Amino acid sequence: MTREKLKRIGLELPMLPTTTVGSFPKPQYILEARRKFAAGELCAEELKRDEERATREWISLQEEIGLDVLVDGEMYRGDMATYFANNLDGFKISGLVRSYGNRYYRKPVITSEIRWQGPITVGWWQFTQRLTSKPVKGMITGPYTMMDWSFNEYYPSRRDACLALAKALHKEVKALSRTGAKIIQVDEPAISARPEELSEFAVEAMEVVTKGVNAYFITHICYGAFEFIYPEMLKLPVDNFDLEMSNSGLDLVELFRKHSFSKDLSFGVVDVHSRVVEEATLVKERIGKGLKVLKPEQLWIDPDCGLKTRTRDEAVNKLKTMVKATKNVREKLDRKA
Amino acid sequence: MELLTASTGSYPRIGDLAEQQRHRQAYAGREHGEISEEEFEQVQDDVTREAIREQVKAGLDVVTDGQVRWHDPISHFAKKLEGCEINGLLRFFDTNFYFRQPVIHDKLVRRGSILKREFVFAKEVSSKPMKPVVTGPYTLAKLSINQRGGHFRTLVDEFAEIITQEIHDLVKAGAELIQVDEPAILKNPADFQVFKEAVQKVVGAKGKSKIILYTYFGDAAPLYSKLIELPVDGLGLDFTYSQKLVDTVVITGCDKEIGLGLIDGRNTKIERESEVLRILERVLPALEGQRAYLNPSCGLGEYLPREIAFKKLQNMVSIARKAREVA
Repeated sequence: MTREKLKRIGLELPMLPTTTVGSFPKPQYILEARRKFAAGELCAEELKRDEERATREWISLQEEIGLDVLVDGEMYRGDMATYFANNLDGFKISGLVRSYGNRYYRKPVITSEIRWQGPITVGWWQFTQRLTSKPVKGMITGPYTMMDWSFNEYYPSRRDACLALAKALHKEVKALSRTGAKIIQVDEPAISARPEELSEFAVEAMEVVTKGVNAYFITHICYGAFEFIYPEMLKLPVDNFDLEMSNSGLDLVELFRKHSFSKDLSFGVVDVHSRVVEEATLVKERIGKGLKVLKPEQLWIDPDCGLKTRTRDEAVNKLKTMVKATKNVREKLDRKA
Repeated sequence: MELLTASTGSYPRIGDLAEQQRHRQAYAGREHGEISEEEFEQVQDDVTREAIREQVKAGLDVVTDGQVRWHDPISHFAKKLEGCEINGLLRFFDTNFYFRQPVIHDKLVRRGSILKREFVFAKEVSSKPMKPVVTGPYTLAKLSINQRGGHFRTLVDEFAEIITQEIHDLVKAGAELIQVDEPAILKNPADFQVFKEAVQKVVGAKGKSKIILYTYFGDAAPLYSKLIELPVDGLGLDFTYSQKLVDTVVITGCDKEIGLGLIDGRNTKIERESEVLRILERVLPALEGQRAYLNPSCGLGEYLPREIAFKKLQNMVSIARKAREVA
């Protein structure tokens, strides 16, 4: 099992490791700094200084909360696709596109050959890892999601675009690994968009990204529709699937009963779309449900998705509850053993 | 054979220019209680005029109102019905657009006409034929949460009754060509019987007007032979999902009007004229003399920036002109 892999790459984690999906809410001064930077009133170094300050704050908060595997909190990112598009060759950014209601966003546009110009997230990973003795995850947006969330004006097909992205992102993954990242998360929230493409090229793309890199790979998938890609999605060459569970009514558990889940699972136990902080008993119940279909060695505990849309207090309180509930379950498991 | 150009539904309500922000600002203003419902309606009217004007300027033969007033194709209907409430956001098929999902808790009752007023306004201000767009009963039912229990078929049937009344009102208001959208059937072929019964019911209200059934966001090839048997006047197809759909249409033929979604409504890449012409040269002779529309694969309002949407339509019109010269 992958517990052995963790050990092999030199990571000692407690049973039911706690972590988060990636993003945290940005403090007011970051929002202000980003606005000023966009308006040309702030230079890149000043913005970066603020981003580093916010990252430091989130690292100490995560340590205080007692999480086992930390993230940098993505203080330096706007949108998860646009951030990488801005830092790879081959992309432009589109005009405004409607997302829902009165919400509009700009989409990456692939206009020429996609190429990795050099490290994108490595500097942030290194900065963050130096602040803590806990492992920090390397985080990238996966090739399928980058492709699905971009306009494609250059490659003849979705497959070609996806594989070109995979090659570029493989270089980022290698750079993260060389710098010392042992856990690398490849976010693929869009992977269930067109289920038939999983076997057509999404699995192949993930193979390209991860090939030959000695790290524990996690992929984060959300927005439901797992019933269309399960169990096929287990073919994705990663060690751990990070899935949205509490927002989906936990029906995945039923799915796993039919076809057992063969990898590790980061089990989303708090709903990031709700302001309400879950009761510890509810979180414990959710973990309990996970343990009914998975061995404790397979299970990691985290929120459904990134917490960036919650307030700082909501995020912190949700995580505190999550850690407390996990510790309780751990103790129970210990007593049993 | 006649080749016309048409819109497939929505049109971007804002653009990137400073003067194209009115809708967005008014929407926010209304949310914050800074402008009244009447003022907001005024802006919606103005932006609808703008959307129509741009379609006409691009050279389209058949236009829509751009669906400027729609939150999304599902809740725009459901929110005006008794027996359901509108829930949170859910991804609209495989796109990055989100719709608000209806939750059905009681028998559905239509309180009044949903599209009639919008259609009458749009028809009035347009110099080109105005095509109303109606979301079909099957798609409405499929994308709802049925919390009251009972059969899915019953729910489809209730939506079919409501949409039938809508069609009836639109026909009375002067609609000559009505687009009914049923994207959901493509991924759920097992439901075809229920879907077919709903279509049959809706078509019963069309009188002398024509109903053209649009599917998109999927490959229609596997269902094509069944779709052309439906009692509708035309079929709209999305050609961006499969290379084989062209072959299927050419081999099977088509004795109905056809909406050729050869212009990718979800990609900013402007179509290459020669490529579209090559397909038209193959498809048009297979149409048994019926009218064809060259149109985007889906509505543009949620998937493209406004500037690109306009360019796409212009390019499409120019391609259609070439195709007519060749033919």
